Amino acid sequence: MIKRKFLLLFIWTISCAVFSQEKFEKEYRVKPSEVPEKSFKLIKSWRFKKKVKWYAEESNDGKTFEAKTVHLNHVYSIEFNENGTLLDLEKKVSFSELEKNIQEKIKNKLSKKFKKYKFKKIQIQYKGLEEEVQKALLQLPRNEIKASIFYEIVLKAKKEKGYALYEVLLDEKGQIIKELKFKPTNSDNLEF
Amino acid sequence: MNFRKIVILFVVYFISSNLIGQSNFDKGFLPKVVLSKKVSNTLKWVNSLESRTIMYDDEDQFSLNLLDISSIISLKTNLNQSFNFGYILRFRDTETIHRTFQHYNVVNQFTSLKVGHRFAFEQFYQTKRKTTLRSRYRVSIEKPLNGEKTDVGEFYLKFGNEYLYDFQNTDLEVRFTPYLGFKASKTDRVEAGFDYRVGNFISNTTENNLWFRVTWYISLN
Repeated sequence: MIKRKFLLLFIWTISCAVFSQEKFEKEYRVKPSEVPEKSFKLIKSWRFKKKVKWYAEESNDGKTFEAKTVHLNHVYSIEFNENGTLLDLEKKVSFSELEKNIQEKIKNKLSKKFKKYKFKKIQIQYKGLEEEVQKALLQLPRNEIKASIFYEIVLKAKKEKGYALYEVLLDEKGQIIKELKFKPTNSDNLEF
Repeated sequence: MNFRKIVILFVVYFISSNLIGQSNFDKGFLPKVVLSKKVSNTLKWVNSLESRTIMYDDEDQFSLNLLDISSIISLKTNLNQSFNFGYILRFRDTETIHRTFQHYNVVNQFTSLKVGHRFAFEQFYQTKRKTTLRSRYRVSIEKPLNGEKTDVGEFYLKFGNEYLYDFQNTDLEVRFTPYLGFKASKTDRVEAGFDYRVGNFISNTTENNLWFRVTWYISLN
């Protein structure tokens, strides 16, 4: 009888693991030879001086590829879809590096949305044609780049009580396009 | 590529453990299970079971040396900070040692590294013996072996360095802990590696221990 109960419990555990529909997300390093040729050629033509690292990201929404490098003291991430088409270019910056009027718009919006907040990571996101997005690397003034610009910001912020992590996407007008609340990853193995 | 890295790492570990094993070192196994359960948004209950088996060179024998049972209440004070209050019951040969402790933890996430700092204060209670006190500090670094974060089904490296100061014997113990970890699921992690300890660091009677440790972290959230 005990043996039967144990067997049932075992089957139940296995079936739970197999059938649970969790959000799937996986990010890993890939070799340049494993990325779509079109994306590889584009990155090669941009002639980065520093090493370019390639990553693949798989989720329920599909698969994307990302090239990461450092250019003129900034970390750049260039994302492509599975066919190698450019999706966006992201440049990691500090808040003070943003233009003053953008700083004001972001601060105004965030202080309305959150009681308190602290910037954890800021990226300027460029979306558009390859040749226009490339201008971001040349650090040209805004009016010379014909690409859409967004600001992807990771915040430690408080709405009512207690802090949480948020990823917020704002446009150039300071409007929030997307807001995602997320938890820090489990760190039991670093604590106990 | 990663598989090769892992194999190299293990070969280095085993060669070094054999070399160290030739002098008078205490060595053995330290298996541990850590079970954590979220009670509320800020409170977690963590229980663990750990045993120590000493391996004797001469007789090629093993002996169960001690068993630790612990229970901890972990209070999250910030997104990356926590205070832990715990109790350990240790059975060693015929002795029973009670220990209470307080931890303060800070964990910082960087692009591809996770760094944890632990500041601890411990009190040991034993019948017919004076209560002793110990303080300790540990830094642990976790580095994924593939990509910038450890996903399910991926391996990672964890390096720890800890300093323990005993107020009774006024001496220092230093620990180095290189581990290879595997994130088996969203709630399970398994780590295996070495725990090298140098005791009585200040006095001349230095003690050395090398333990092979396997830890299974289970999170019931």
